[in-house]
Amino acid sequence: MRSLPSRVLLHLLLAVGALAMVVPFVWMVLSSLKSHADIASYPPKLLPTEWVWSNYREALAYAPFGTYFRNSLLIALGHTVINVILASMAGYALARVPFRGRSVLFMGVLTMMMIPTYTKIVPQYLIAKGMPFFGGNDYLGRGGNGWLDSWWVLIVPGALTPFAIFLFRQFYLSLPVELEEAARIDGMGEFGIFARVMTPLVKPAVATVALITFENSWNNFLWPLLVTTRDDLRVIQVGLAVFQQAEKTEWAYLMAGSTLATVPMIVLFLLAQRYFVQGFATAGIK
Amino acid sequence: MTTTIDRVDVAPVTRAPRPPRRRRLGAERRRAAYLMLAPSVIHLVWWIGLPVLATFALAFTDYDVVAGTVRWVGLANFREIFADETWNLSIWHTVVYTFFTVPVAMAIAVVIAVLLNQRLRGRAWYRAAFFMPHITATVAIALVWMWMFEPNLGLFNLLLGEVGVNGPAWLADTTWAMPAVILVSVWKGIGLKMLIYLAALQNIPSELYEAADIDGASGPRRFFAITVPLLRPATFFVFVVSMIDAFQVFDQVYVLTPDGGPANSTTVMTYEIYRTAFSEFRISTACAQSLVLFAFLLVMTLISRRLTGRDDDA
Amino acid sequence: MGKTRVLAAALVTALLATAGCGGPAPGGKGDDKEAGTIRLLTPIFEGTDGKKVLEEQLKAFKDSHPKVTVEVDYTSYSKLNEKLTTSIASGRPYDVMLMGVGWIPPFAAKGALTPLDEQKGELSQRFYERAVDPGVYDGKVYGLPIMLDTRFGLYRKDLFAEAGLSGPPRNFAELREYGRKLTKRDAGGKLTRAGLDILSNDLRQTFLPLLWANGGDLFTADGKPAFNSEAGVGALQFMTDVVRTDRSEDFGFTQPGVAGGPPLAQGRAAMMIGHNNVWQAIQETAPDLIKQDKIGFFMIANERPALFQGGTIGTVSAKSAHPAAAKALVTFLASEKTSLAANEQRGNVPALKSLATSEYVTGNKAVQFAMENMGSAYSEGGVPAWLEIRGDFKATIESALLGKKTPKQALDELAATAQSAIAKG
Repeated sequence: MRSLPSRVLLHLLLAVGALAMVVPFVWMVLSSLKSHADIASYPPKLLPTEWVWSNYREALAYAPFGTYFRNSLLIALGHTVINVILASMAGYALARVPFRGRSVLFMGVLTMMMIPTYTKIVPQYLIAKGMPFFGGNDYLGRGGNGWLDSWWVLIVPGALTPFAIFLFRQFYLSLPVELEEAARIDGMGEFGIFARVMTPLVKPAVATVALITFENSWNNFLWPLLVTTRDDLRVIQVGLAVFQQAEKTEWAYLMAGSTLATVPMIVLFLLAQRYFVQGFATAGIK
Repeated sequence: MTTTIDRVDVAPVTRAPRPPRRRRLGAERRRAAYLMLAPSVIHLVWWIGLPVLATFALAFTDYDVVAGTVRWVGLANFREIFADETWNLSIWHTVVYTFFTVPVAMAIAVVIAVLLNQRLRGRAWYRAAFFMPHITATVAIALVWMWMFEPNLGLFNLLLGEVGVNGPAWLADTTWAMPAVILVSVWKGIGLKMLIYLAALQNIPSELYEAADIDGASGPRRFFAITVPLLRPATFFVFVVSMIDAFQVFDQVYVLTPDGGPANSTTVMTYEIYRTAFSEFRISTACAQSLVLFAFLLVMTLISRRLTGRDDDA
Repeated sequence: MGKTRVLAAALVTALLATAGCGGPAPGGKGDDKEAGTIRLLTPIFEGTDGKKVLEEQLKAFKDSHPKVTVEVDYTSYSKLNEKLTTSIASGRPYDVMLMGVGWIPPFAAKGALTPLDEQKGELSQRFYERAVDPGVYDGKVYGLPIMLDTRFGLYRKDLFAEAGLSGPPRNFAELREYGRKLTKRDAGGKLTRAGLDILSNDLRQTFLPLLWANGGDLFTADGKPAFNSEAGVGALQFMTDVVRTDRSEDFGFTQPGVAGGPPLAQGRAAMMIGHNNVWQAIQETAPDLIKQDKIGFFMIANERPALFQGGTIGTVSAKSAHPAAAKALVTFLASEKTSLAANEQRGNVPALKSLATSEYVTGNKAVQFAMENMGSAYSEGGVPAWLEIRGDFKATIESALLGKKTPKQALDELAATAQSAIAKG
């Protein structure tokens, strides 16, 4: 396909780029294996003088990471499934079905991304607390704690992102119109066209949304911390924050914990990236 | 072949007057669309719409969260924030930050996506390497960068020292702090953009490239004549999302250069909003600041929509 | 105009009401029996270790107060503000809130706290008087000190001996002189050892003890800015001189919270202004320095000696449904056994005089030094607007250290901002 020198050059280019990208991770992993004395040594040492594997064991004992890991996993899975289903439907409707006010609705979705988290978080907390009929609340959402300290509040508010709707819309937009017309002639309804004709063609988008939703949810910290008071509802990033205390940071443990928290994401990525291969759209067109 | 391009590129909806049967079909389709949109719209209105409305309303009040009192003050909050030098400085920093991070990261990402879209030994690992910065929690990885930037114990000055250069204090240097933050953000931003471009590239029929090969088009020519135009919906997406992200950057700036950086040289809008709301407990002033941020983003999004000719839209 | 205003006001009210803080929780009237379930928000007792310490203590509390159940919400100081804000905004604050020094006036002035049934005079018998002060506002006691974070001078005895210096500096002039003597640069002019490290510690918390030592005050007795007095300008001038004139440290040489710990431990600094838990950090990274008695302490002094005192204070929310039980918990947290456990877990300074002879304190020289000098301790804050003012100190000090403004200019500008924040109330 290509000449040998150009392939070598390409690999060289990519390898250098990839190496530059992973340098901080190498630093992270090396630091996770250093002793206190090594971390504080001056001049700094690249490699640990003594490889302290026990940092990992000690880091895991620093907080109930088993529980945190399970909670993060459940929340991330919940977010991913809900986001992919709801956002793909919404994105499809916004991209493929003409109706009055569609443009305005689309801009509305975009504006939902334009107020920073820190501003929205107090009202969101109040909404969660004021959920009617939950947690001892009356029909006006008074009296009790609503969704606070429950799985509801961990999963529902973050389960749908405007980002995902927007992404799906852009991908459905670029599909050829002949496909849906052919399906319509076959007597397929709108939902069937969405689910059985169009969505299989945007598998890369599904994989992208799934991956990013999972990863954002996995790395979420502030919301789970605010809306829970019980340790058994807390998540992995809350656990990692324990290594960083007001007057001192447990660097080696923090690096060990972060390394462990990153590994599942890398595995997930390697699995998901297989969907990024040419052929879905073309297969559909033929 | 050209027809395929048109079909992909041009609005998928016919604008010609429709025969009656099609109108009935239109009504049916609309019903289906409303049903598909309903759960999302309800969710967004409830969990984001209401908070956004609250932000708009509170921006014109004096809401004392500790005392629990609300008082209508009109535009006083806006007068106050624009009289605040640090806030105005943070707007400027945000614009500079966005200007440098978004286009640079986008350009790198699209090239890498194209390179990693071909059959290549070790492709999955290359992709993983470029995506890894995005995977790791920002706070943790920003701490690693902070460490690498440390003037005496960090990697950068260690390497610079090897070649005889006395490196700057990076994050503690008013000149270098912002470039350092931008570098980290570009590094972190490439992965997500690459992923979206990769996904979008899968939607480009390979026949187009095959035809171009037959015509003997060079690599760069194929890139600019086929890839770039067909990536337009994805580019619009990546641009808008990256801009929103850049304007709302917080975590890495906060970790790398705490409290606004050396002499406030890296303070950005979201940091000021955070500080106003949660360090000073002045929620309504923070809401006013958020509206300014909102206005910036809205205008930028509308402009970019106009610039892409709205052909991403029906 | 009038109509829009009414409409907008109605909208706000409606939003807040739907959001859940419009209607007060039914049955919010406090009882005065020591019973019920109370909620505690704590930024200390972090991690598995901290949790174990607190839970052990709470078992003892349960034994003495069988009708009170305590639900603990563990957070960290970095997210304490967010937790406090959301819980207070929602009308469901924690019964017992642990806060930092400087927080009592803002929260008490707005009616968010309940006064404790304590008298300052009586407390000063048991606690260090200076440690009681931050919990007092308007003559009433709102909080009890659980642990103190202190800042003072630390120095390397070995490096002092090397330079022929016999003892720690006693005033600003000696501080500067010793700093110059102890500074080392390599052939290229690169700083290899800072004579006096004033950058490892939070800049505000470095400036304030200098201000107090120089005879200055943060605010006047009637709550006006006083930090731009001659003493204050002198303190900032001192910092500026150390960096710009003496070049005993370069700006950017180090900063708080760096990975390697304070430069003092590595011999990259000979003196520093630092936190009492630098001792703990040295014990972990360079235990030999402690074994060989190479670390010494000194009070920052000029007109008078001054020790910076921050800390964690237990308070009771004004909205607590069980104030009596909540007050009992605060008293318990500040009691001898519990506060000792808390301080030991974090390497901090107890506020109870009786703990000065405890095994923990006698085994930690930094803590011991701090307790011996509690008579010269000063606290930040004091005015309700403090939380709005404190964040601006860092940039102010930096602008002087970088030579962008003169110390007087910088402090005058900050005083003007502070004054307007205070006036706004």
